[in-house]
Amino acid sequence: MTENSSYSKGVDAFPHFYVGINSLAELATKEDRVCVLNILGSESRGVTPTSHVYSGGNIVCGTMPGRSGSVLKTKIGDIPVYNNVTEALEAGHQFNVAVVYVPPSGVKDAVIEAVRVNPAINKVIILTEKVALSDARIIRQYGQRHNVDVFGANCLGIADAHQHVRIGGALGGSSPEESLVPGSIAIFSNSGNFTTTMATYILTAGWGTTISYSSGKDVYIHFAAAEFTHAFHNDDRSKAALMYIEPGGYYEHDLEFKKPVVACVVGRWKDKLTRACGHAGAMAGSGDNAGEKERWFMNKLGVNDIYSPENPVHSAKGAVVTNIAHLPEALTAVMKANGVEPDFEPKGNLSLKPWLGNNQDIALPSNLDIDLVEAISPYKEQLELLTKQLGIALPRQTMKDASGASMMDPKTQVSKLYGVSVLDAALHTYEDNLVMSLVQKYPDENGRALANLALNAFVNQHNTPALMAAEASREAGNSPNTVLSSSMAILGPKTAETARKAVRILLNLFKGSELVNPSETSFDFSKQLSAVLADDEAKAVLVSSEGDQCGQMIFDAARNGGAKSVFLDFLEELAKQSGAKLEGQIVLAAITCHLGWRELVHKRLSMTTMINMPWHFRIFSSIIGTSVAVNRQDKESFCGVSNLELMTSWSFTETAYLALLGKRPDKEALFAFSVLLGLIVTNGPGTISAQGAKGAVSADGPEVPERVQLNKAYVGFLTHTGYAHGGNGFEAIEFLLHRFKESGLNEPGNDKHGLDLSAMALEYAKEYKAYKTKAKAEGNLSYAKIPCVNHPVFKDKDVNYDPREVFVNDLFKKRGAYNIFLEFYHELVQALFKTGVSKKVYCVNVDAVIAVILLKILWKPYADGEISERALETAAFTTFLYGRTIGETAEIEDHLNRGRNMDTRTAASKCSSVN
Amino acid sequence: MQITGMLWGSKLLNYVGFPTSEVLGAEAKTDQIKDMIDRWGTIFIKPIFKGGVGKKGKAGLIGKASDLATAMKEKERLYFVEHRHGNAFAKAEGVTFESAIPAQYEIYASISDNTRFRAPTLTITHHGGMDIEELPPDKIATIPFDALTGFKGFVVNNALNKINAPNEIISPLVQNLPKLWDLFHSYGMATLELNPIRMMVNERGRLVPVACDFKCMFDTDDPKWKRLDLPDDLDTSSYSDFELEVNQLRTYQGQSDVFVINELGSITAMTFGGGANALVTELLGDKGTISSDFGGNPPYQKMFEISRIVYKHWLKQTNVLFIIGGKANNTDIYETFRGMANALREYFNTHGPQPLYVVVGRGGPNLVRGLAYMKDTLDALGIPYRMFGHDSAMSGVVNYAIDIDNWMSQGGKEIIAKQMGIN
Repeated sequence: MTENSSYSKGVDAFPHFYVGINSLAELATKEDRVCVLNILGSESRGVTPTSHVYSGGNIVCGTMPGRSGSVLKTKIGDIPVYNNVTEALEAGHQFNVAVVYVPPSGVKDAVIEAVRVNPAINKVIILTEKVALSDARIIRQYGQRHNVDVFGANCLGIADAHQHVRIGGALGGSSPEESLVPGSIAIFSNSGNFTTTMATYILTAGWGTTISYSSGKDVYIHFAAAEFTHAFHNDDRSKAALMYIEPGGYYEHDLEFKKPVVACVVGRWKDKLTRACGHAGAMAGSGDNAGEKERWFMNKLGVNDIYSPENPVHSAKGAVVTNIAHLPEALTAVMKANGVEPDFEPKGNLSLKPWLGNNQDIALPSNLDIDLVEAISPYKEQLELLTKQLGIALPRQTMKDASGASMMDPKTQVSKLYGVSVLDAALHTYEDNLVMSLVQKYPDENGRALANLALNAFVNQHNTPALMAAEASREAGNSPNTVLSSSMAILGPKTAETARKAVRILLNLFKGSELVNPSETSFDFSKQLSAVLADDEAKAVLVSSEGDQCGQMIFDAARNGGAKSVFLDFLEELAKQSGAKLEGQIVLAAITCHLGWRELVHKRLSMTTMINMPWHFRIFSSIIGTSVAVNRQDKESFCGVSNLELMTSWSFTETAYLALLGKRPDKEALFAFSVLLGLIVTNGPGTISAQGAKGAVSADGPEVPERVQLNKAYVGFLTHTGYAHGGNGFEAIEFLLHRFKESGLNEPGNDKHGLDLSAMALEYAKEYKAYKTKAKAEGNLSYAKIPCVNHPVFKDKDVNYDPREVFVNDLFKKRGAYNIFLEFYHELVQALFKTGVSKKVYCVNVDAVIAVILLKILWKPYADGEISERALETAAFTTFLYGRTIGETAEIEDHLNRGRNMDTRTAASKCSSVN
Repeated sequence: MQITGMLWGSKLLNYVGFPTSEVLGAEAKTDQIKDMIDRWGTIFIKPIFKGGVGKKGKAGLIGKASDLATAMKEKERLYFVEHRHGNAFAKAEGVTFESAIPAQYEIYASISDNTRFRAPTLTITHHGGMDIEELPPDKIATIPFDALTGFKGFVVNNALNKINAPNEIISPLVQNLPKLWDLFHSYGMATLELNPIRMMVNERGRLVPVACDFKCMFDTDDPKWKRLDLPDDLDTSSYSDFELEVNQLRTYQGQSDVFVINELGSITAMTFGGGANALVTELLGDKGTISSDFGGNPPYQKMFEISRIVYKHWLKQTNVLFIIGGKANNTDIYETFRGMANALREYFNTHGPQPLYVVVGRGGPNLVRGLAYMKDTLDALGIPYRMFGHDSAMSGVVNYAIDIDNWMSQGGKEIIAKQMGIN
């Protein structure tokens, strides 16, 4: 109807503009030959090969500027690529269809050029989204002048299920046969996705398709509803049509149907919108909104309401739905009114069928707790493979300065490990935190008992090379971290080789079983037992004719302690049935399997971490064990406590205390010690100790995780601590020692100490002020600072507090515990303010808390002359190493599971040279 | 992007030499206003609504003054005036002072792409100055023209003859109206409307068309209008921070269209495909926080960024995170799900756990890999979920999400929070 366009005459039914297609059977034919423009673009690369194969090889060539001579590989042969259409024609290719994947700014020119140089082109299919309206106008007119049917833009092309041809986009996705089943229904859709979705939906009512056509929903739809309807009438294969219509535009206003049609008109809600969301052309005025369009179709189809299962309004002419889920039923009803039966037996149904689900132990109301349903093929098989996969596999990424395990909140300065703040970690025992560092959750009581057993069983290092190495290192005058590095270096992969093999076997045996909670010993493991009894190789790893003393001891201790574990029961039964015995390493493997199993099944842990756990456990035991001198360990006992007693009645926290201070702590000391260890768990991935651990993992190459030497990662952590990081806790102790040395203090936990802390603090503040003034006058700006007061974040108020110190102080106060050293610190910050050393009242920071707790524990032996100042320093540093082991274990496993090879390196371009 | 009113309209029309009324902004000094009154006798004072809203005249929102005192009083009245028309609500941000053009004829003229003709089309009447919808069809000419040759004088001539327009206005309009094509086509407009154009007698006694009101809508997919260098905040009033943030990611591969439905909603739907967008938003109604379309095969990084923004703005108030689409043709389910899952993991890492239920309904390439990745992530985060394939009706899945949302609103959220260890 364009007044001045110079179009040529096409199909008679359209006297005012050019349309070349007379029947839907001509839309996508076996004879069509295709050239794909921008064939090697990311979209086309994925879609074009599938179209080519599905259509039996209808794509003769493609273009891509600068890529002449390349090919696009497909299963049925390569598609040659040229710089431009002219070059393709010169190479002898003939084609009548141009499929356009060019980015939006180039679409108009690409179409013009292709049509200009190849007069044989009669169809152009534009997939590109967001083509400018000003370009669409030109494309329209240019196509009209050159007798070309244009499809799109922003469409997904055409597929003909009968002819097995798909041209243009990706209708039917990567498996077109699944949706494009030959039948008698033609589909016209403004939505590309719903073209396929509708084809899939009507299968459930036994209907297949002739043509599936995605028109796009830009302002310009070149081959629109009118052209489709005309061609539908002329296509004998198509008995009915489905039309999916969005608001905006008058394309459907004047349609007249000669065959049944079911229209799905959507978008009433879009009336509320003031701009396009989704399809650019789906913005409606008052006359072309969804409500109006519903009325248009109802009038055409002779119905007075929208079809729904409750109100199945339809006529022989058709029906109008507003929900695509109602299409299959409406279509069947309309066709029945015409005496037409479905094309084939219904395939599936549209009821709710969850393929995957997990309530995460939450009791959902029964109507919401829908049972999982087997997926349709081929997804069923793919999902089966998936469910057999144990544990999580995390995507790898550069983990330099990044962590999935720890983080520090910059506002509160409180660090977290797996979401647990150090303040909360401080309320858990050492063994709890060690387990959490690997499993990411705290163990229950049964798990804790098993963990204590496994950790204490291997703590005695008598006669081990690791202890020898540590001793030699100690003798040489090394710091505690260096001493422990020496012993860690000895604990290579062979240390836990058998245990790791055993874990692998146990996981494979129980994979795919119903076992979720290994504490529930009613689980029937007969299937797993038969499997391993029939597998000599696996059996030889799990049991042996001799076993060892340790294995039996742990086992007996577990039994006597009432610990429950499916894995231990399984081993016991296996040993019994095969007349063999257990080794300590195997029992350790069973315990670590027990601790991690639930999280593994719930895909929170990886197989890698599970297999590594026994090695970590051996390292935990050795860190405590080798920090104790040779002369305090013998075959039967550790620090004077028998191995059996340790296993049966000591927690690992108590053992660590014993290693450090030579005695079993009382309740208060144990609590204080746990708090101490918990507070220093982590300070985020940026700390030097974390960097050391992560660097060691990165250098071994986490992409092949089985090659990474865990012990070396601990060496990395340990060597990245030192007198300035970890050892500096002693500075505060030393400071306090000097303040209290001559005070006659006997019991720092007794508030009746008789000392005037306020006066002591004031005296020191004055002394410090004089020292500072003198130093400044002398130009010495690196004068000594008072340790553990003030903080770069908590410093701006008149009276400042470090929230972490406040938390711990409150904690102890609530327990009625008194600490003279902490009280002194509180007096000191006031005194520094009163004397003018500070302009505001400094906070007492969290490092002070660590120092005062430790000094309170050590004061008595120090005052009694049992331990030297040097031993105090060693104890302070070692305590830090014990606690920080928790955080670094988590960093090591996290980096191992997520990191890339050598990802902690810094690019040379980011390094600077300093003269 | 939409511009209404003569403040910016006159600037744009000046680019192509189309005569306009004289316009001063709110910052005009009293002597400038007085000078305008002295020269024109009467001036109009019109409130400025960003993005535009109709029927201002009928609502009494156009002031008229022939002296400075009245002009200033009207300025005060209209400066922050509020106006509601249909679904649109607007609050004025200033006023303009516009010269009143004496005229015998008022013309309505607009150019837009008409879907009946599938061509750019001129709509014109010499009975302008009123709502075009109120005129009988025989008084309006609607004439399509060839986009390749453009909007020519003969199109105007034919149109005006068709509606029997007075001869004296035809020649000046034939001379001036085609100038609008340059503005419309070369600067990426989707619609351009001048109403009224007042036919003023010039000093030589000839009629000159003078544009006295202006409305245009730019095509967001057309980069050409960026050349106009319009201020960024010209039409931002109708965009929320969330929408602005997502719009920055607008590139040609992958949709990233969002629209805030209800700021107090409790189901956040990550929707894929225009069709799904229509269906899901319709069924969710006010329960939905946003209406979205992320289809079109967005690459991983874009999906990750979009998800981060969506979660940042909406997750805290969300009961159900709803990932929904039909059976994708082209969108890679693995890549898009990986983006959404990783962003969710990052959100939990930085903001801590959030009591959520996730409902997924999807089909398409790499489906099982995508679902598996999401499943692993949700299991790792301890979030309960159900995932449906494309063999479940999408509307059924939407209703399931609504049922879950209802349960969560009635105490389910606390149960999930407790299980996830959230205080």
